[in-house]
Amino acid sequence: MKALHGVRVVDFTQAMAAPFCTMNLADMGADVIKIEPPGEGEPTRRLGAAEKNGHSATFMALNRNKRSLTADLKRPEGVAIVRRLVETADVFVQNYRPGVADRLGLGWDQLSAINPLLVYCSISGFGGTGPYASRVTGEESGAPAKAGIPVSDLACGLYGAYGILAALEHRDRTGQGQLVDTSLLEAAMALTVWEATEYWTTGRTPRAVGSAHRFAAPYQAIRASDGYFTVGANNDKLYEAFCRAIDRLDLLDDSRFKTNAERVRNRAELIREIELTTVGFSRATWLERLASEGVPCGPINSYPETLSDPHTLAREMVVDLVHPGAGEVKALGIPVKLSDTPGAVDRPAPLCGEHTTEILTELGYSEAEHESFRARGVV
Amino acid sequence: MDHIRVIDQTQVMAGPTCAMLLADLGADVIKVEPPGGETTRRIEPEIAPGVSAAFLAVNRNKRGMTLDLKQQRGVDIFMRLVGTADVLIENYRPGVAKRLGVGYDTLASSNPRLVYCSISGFGQTGPYASRGGYDLIAQGMSGIMSVTGHEGGPPVKVGVPITDLGAALFGVFGILCALRARRITGRGQFVDTSLFEAGVALSVWEATEYWYTGETPQRLGTGHRMNAPYQAFRASDGHFTVGASNERLWPRFASLLGLDRLLDEPRFADVGARVRNRPALEREIESVTATKPRSYWLERCEALGIPAGPIYSVPEALTDAHAVARGMAKEVDHPEAGRVKTLGNPVKMSATPPTMRNAAPPLGHDNTAILTELGYGDTEIRELAREGVI
Repeated sequence: MKALHGVRVVDFTQAMAAPFCTMNLADMGADVIKIEPPGEGEPTRRLGAAEKNGHSATFMALNRNKRSLTADLKRPEGVAIVRRLVETADVFVQNYRPGVADRLGLGWDQLSAINPLLVYCSISGFGGTGPYASRVTGEESGAPAKAGIPVSDLACGLYGAYGILAALEHRDRTGQGQLVDTSLLEAAMALTVWEATEYWTTGRTPRAVGSAHRFAAPYQAIRASDGYFTVGANNDKLYEAFCRAIDRLDLLDDSRFKTNAERVRNRAELIREIELTTVGFSRATWLERLASEGVPCGPINSYPETLSDPHTLAREMVVDLVHPGAGEVKALGIPVKLSDTPGAVDRPAPLCGEHTTEILTELGYSEAEHESFRARGVV
Repeated sequence: MDHIRVIDQTQVMAGPTCAMLLADLGADVIKVEPPGGETTRRIEPEIAPGVSAAFLAVNRNKRGMTLDLKQQRGVDIFMRLVGTADVLIENYRPGVAKRLGVGYDTLASSNPRLVYCSISGFGQTGPYASRGGYDLIAQGMSGIMSVTGHEGGPPVKVGVPITDLGAALFGVFGILCALRARRITGRGQFVDTSLFEAGVALSVWEATEYWYTGETPQRLGTGHRMNAPYQAFRASDGHFTVGASNERLWPRFASLLGLDRLLDEPRFADVGARVRNRPALEREIESVTATKPRSYWLERCEALGIPAGPIYSVPEALTDAHAVARGMAKEVDHPEAGRVKTLGNPVKMSATPPTMRNAAPPLGHDNTAILTELGYGDTEIRELAREGVI
């Protein structure tokens, strides 16, 4: 059994944040049914620079473990199919601009009226209320270079999953569904824990700090003879071990670097001193010495290196799948391991409408009705 | 989650944040610290004498108790507390909890319904399991640093500790899944996640790019690896961000700039072509955007429905009208520091919303209350304090 066995999720989502949210639920065993427009499917099926045999890599990356049902929501019959599906569902997730789902008859008020047990999750750029509620999606960030990965999308997907599961827990105890509303902007802000803290406490505007930490030093990328490695010596004990590992015990007596607070204040001088020594030898040398002293450290891997690293593979972070159109494809594994009811990546992203017949049958539509829907392009 | 009791045996960021996410939803989170306090209490800056701002930031809504697990009586009290708990979260290096006598096997045999979550640098198994791991190390090893920053510049990590926070989110997700499974099976289980795996799991586009194109993902500054234009552009008075990569928005943005001629050029014909020719596209766009101020472009993008925004500093973000309307900057009371600010929870719920009830507890703040709940008498509690067990 998987942890979310028996949980049915209607996935009316597109692009990244919300599909990532429902994919996490699917990985843990929820029956996630993706609603797509007949024919073309959701826009991500046509997005991006990477594809295999005509199948979008980005779509495949975010929609594994799901089923696909097509329904034309511009027609009342299409909406009626989705509403019948919602009657059987536990969760509805959508990431259209506030107002769009309501116009289609798939808003929170409308769906909770037909299924009061429903947990309805809305993921948007700025949230369902407030002055920017109707704005289009966009990332905001305090950093001069954007994070290399789309942090606010991904975090928002995870915050959504967290809200949904908490709401299911409440529903199972009380019989009451509810609206869960989160946004990319809020997710990004919720991640600025240290930065907000720095601003509120010191009044200073947090600056970009490269690879360094706001509150600890040395904790950053350090130069070796052949490139950089990372080291995190963020307390006195580790700092001492670090100085031992690079054979610079003299730094322990340097009045500029006695405490972590002083090391943070004098970071530039500290790193200059350290690099005088570290540029003399290779990364491999330093990583070995630091590891033997128990100082957290590591290489700066490229993705080819990370994705073939023995630890990545041992933790099952790379999964092989066979997609009906694209053939053999790889997918990322599940980063949280459950001992009793583990998640699994069982199947690739669905073809557009791959499960329409199966789901219509589950909902009790007759074969004649299937035929009629198909003939008129409703599904 | 106010029927759920959580033992929070964590330090620094990932574990405390994971537990705080449950505390925000009303769970009774009891932070158990050694009598000297966890290390984060000594991190600067201070918000009041002896009160660490960093500690406050990730421990709100919790109760606090001290316990010396190196003394047998401390372990006895801890086991009694475990008997009343639904969830335990720890973020020691693998092996440390077991050495302290509070490993998963021991606790599960005394409370089979317990959901036990470990958050570590690299997870409980695999060749790097015993290594120490911080966000920086995980960002470096998961590949995230290899794609952050500008081409040719020094290494840059994501400005926020994304693997710490990602592990916290995957941890709370795993815990909530395990609680749901418990409703059916009646059993708790072991939930195991790590900073490294969170970093890898968040690399969806980057892994995809590598697997499908065979190319090593590079640093792109503010660009997107699957979309263009989708990045920061220069205006006459600074930068602003635009996401106009799809076939509906790109023509609209090109028209706004008076660059309709680009729509007919094969170099920019579709998203794939625009991604491949990003530098040329960027030059064309900035030749126009750099002639007018940010506000000019932002107003027009807004009117045309093109996603765009300013690049805020942290103070600007926290005082923005929308952030305030969405409750992203809250205040709570701290017994020593007075009113202190804390970030809001980004998830809004109509029936059981997250709440901000109290600031992080001073060290041992709830010792008496919790020990009393566990059935210890006043005399006994005084003795435990005298002997340094609490």
